[in-house]
Amino acid sequence: MKSLYTLSFWLSVAAVLLIFGCSKDYPTGAEFEPYQYSSLDQNAGTWKTVLLQNPEQIVIDAPQDITQASYKSELQALKDAVSKMSAHDRSAINYWTNNPIIRWNEIARELAAKYNLTPAPNPDGTYPAPSAANPGVYPLFPFAHPPYASRAFAYLSVAQFDALVAAWHYKYKFNRPAVFRSDNAVNTFFDPVDLPSYPSDGAVVAAVSRDILSAMFPLEKEYLKEKAEEMKRCLLLSGINVESDLIAGDSLGRGVARVFLARASTDGMGAAQTPRPVSDSLANISEAQFGWRWINMESPRRPVGITPRFGNVKTWAVPDVKAIRPGVPPAIGSAEFNKAADELKQIANNLTKEQRKIANWWSDGLGTYTPPGHWNRFATNSIIQYRYNPVRSARVYAYMNMAIMDAGIACWDVKYYYNYPRPVQAIPGFKTILGTPNFPAYTSGHSSFSSAAANVLSYIFPNERAAFEKYAKEASESRIYGGIHYRFDCEVGLTQGKQVADFVIQKASADGAN
Amino acid sequence: MKTKDVQDNLITTNTQFFMRNRIVSSFSFLLLLFWVMSAHTQTPTDGLFMEKNEICIAVMGSHDTWDHYWEGRLLRDNQNIGILTRNTLMPMAAYGISSKINLLVGLPYVSTSPSGGQMTGVSGWQDLSIFLKFKPYSYHNDRWTLLSFVTAGFSTPASGYLSDYQPFSLGLGTQEYSLRAIVKTEYLEKYYFRGSAAFLHRTTTEAERDYYYTTKGIYTSTMDVPDATNFELALGLWMFNRAIQLEGAYVSQTSLSGDDIRRQNQAQPTNKMDWTSINGRLRYFTPFFEGFSLMANYGQVLTGRNVGQSTVISGGITYQFPIKK
Repeated sequence: MKSLYTLSFWLSVAAVLLIFGCSKDYPTGAEFEPYQYSSLDQNAGTWKTVLLQNPEQIVIDAPQDITQASYKSELQALKDAVSKMSAHDRSAINYWTNNPIIRWNEIARELAAKYNLTPAPNPDGTYPAPSAANPGVYPLFPFAHPPYASRAFAYLSVAQFDALVAAWHYKYKFNRPAVFRSDNAVNTFFDPVDLPSYPSDGAVVAAVSRDILSAMFPLEKEYLKEKAEEMKRCLLLSGINVESDLIAGDSLGRGVARVFLARASTDGMGAAQTPRPVSDSLANISEAQFGWRWINMESPRRPVGITPRFGNVKTWAVPDVKAIRPGVPPAIGSAEFNKAADELKQIANNLTKEQRKIANWWSDGLGTYTPPGHWNRFATNSIIQYRYNPVRSARVYAYMNMAIMDAGIACWDVKYYYNYPRPVQAIPGFKTILGTPNFPAYTSGHSSFSSAAANVLSYIFPNERAAFEKYAKEASESRIYGGIHYRFDCEVGLTQGKQVADFVIQKASADGAN
Repeated sequence: MKTKDVQDNLITTNTQFFMRNRIVSSFSFLLLLFWVMSAHTQTPTDGLFMEKNEICIAVMGSHDTWDHYWEGRLLRDNQNIGILTRNTLMPMAAYGISSKINLLVGLPYVSTSPSGGQMTGVSGWQDLSIFLKFKPYSYHNDRWTLLSFVTAGFSTPASGYLSDYQPFSLGLGTQEYSLRAIVKTEYLEKYYFRGSAAFLHRTTTEAERDYYYTTKGIYTSTMDVPDATNFELALGLWMFNRAIQLEGAYVSQTSLSGDDIRRQNQAQPTNKMDWTSINGRLRYFTPFFEGFSLMANYGQVLTGRNVGQSTVISGGITYQFPIKK
């Protein structure tokens, strides 16, 4: 008995001590090895840009010839820097890899999640609102809800795309050889790529991403600047670019960002979050016309939903969202409505573990990167799988995010045109496992975003179509399982997302990249 | 005959007295009920022990409510939760493997419901807990008793409940390994002081999403649940020939890592959950049914971080008996 006692005592102590301290590092982004690009897309400089009138709209100086002393001293500076590379530098290079656009997309997702927090109520039951003029005063600006996030991803991605098309144009115009061609003593960190080095495509991406994201997330300006500096240093240390490549790239990136930020400042987003009288008048019009109005069911009640005028924001590819506005949803209390409501009650009362998991997996609610962020993650996975080079990667993000933002605009037009009540408002006593978002039900944003994204991604990666379509359908249905959308919200949302995608695909198929 | 009757009576009386003392000393697992306080598992903290081959079964019920919680360090209400009620019913059993090792097992059934908002409460079996309690050292003299104990515990989710549904979730959905040292001193079998310190190691829990944000975005469904330390100080009193026990305790639990709930965001299992509480307890060892006892407990969370400001009322019934001569 004594020995049993002693043995079990020490075994217990040992078990507890052994287990202590086994914490792991979890991934904070895509985990992948630098890869060899599947192609270089030498003709990418001829692809049609989205906003730039032509690839030389932003003018950069011709580079110094590689025979000149200035270039040779830059090469020497590069070699000196490489010889002094620290372990920290190496880990930075491994982080950025040879396709840093992936990391900038992750940074955008990170910031969306960080800022996707709804304002807390004041003690008197009113709500404060974020102010672009005073971003650092609570509630911090921005509140990166799905429409805001979709717009941030779109501007980031389309600007990166136009900037890289311009970079490719200049690269092959000036034809400054890759650094390893100029000097075979330079160690390249990654597989050498025979891409003209001037201007640095990496520096273009760093500058354009920094400037767009700094405008979208003004409190992150310093953080973004550090990221851009770190990235540019990695381009030097990995033997890809000399200083003048980087300077020219930075200048081109800045110039392209200015063009996009000029559009952003007049795209209507500033008026999307309306004051209460405007949103009330929209609801009054719906009520007069259809006999219902959406109201926020939180306590205290939020007086204005998220961005009632996002439907008026300037689109990228859809000529007129009103032209694809779907028909009137079922009247509250009609047979069709009751059928949808009964389905929700039936599901809520018999929720399977699988349904619960689908609802949570796609929830992408407050504090997350939003559904647009989720689809950017899928795009990233395919970019890596298909070993896309930076400009082709940018094209994926650009067309997908244009589709996602346009789908959001089209969806928001519908939401505040019909002002249709959510299940928690229209079904007495109905409880949910997901928080109900602060905007009308019809149509489902998840469904529109997902269908638009899935169709564009399927156009670009046709072999993956089945997976993307399955994801979009699941994302759409997840809202039914979560109890926050009727089936007709979801089905019509999927259809509308596809209509948006068709406009975007039409644009993509004419850009010369196929 | 008369002498025999007296003898029998004496024996009976002695036996009863003896039994009662043993009953008193056997409810070593009752403090398991603390884990129902705010969904944070705990280890048995008391300074009591069962003899070999004794078994004790019990059912404890608790009613935990809060209408304020700490969002990080900010104490706030939330009308979309209203009053959160957490009711727990926990069957438990304890067994004296030897005079130096006790085995304790418990499995609570939990049900939660918010009075405000549109989110649904949940109910189901929470975590199965198993503890081994050791008595490495004890000392007695005419007036003083000094006892020391070590408990080693393990708990694991008993159903597929979702931990990433805070604050409505049944529990933290993690395995917990715990080690606690307890020292108890009793004076004249009437007054006692008890102190204990524990280390709680939690493994991880699985969310149903594969991206979440703490102080950074994390791309996995696995969430680290912070380890914690737990300290308790208790003062107690026996009355009416040890038929009634009164105790007051102060408890402090501190997570060793974890993030704060962000402003107006939902809580998640990765949060740092700290609290201090006071607890008052009354036990009654009924003379009418041998082996039965009743207990009642009141607890109040005083300070906290990322936890509810819980008030807990609980009670239970226990029955103890030897299974072998």
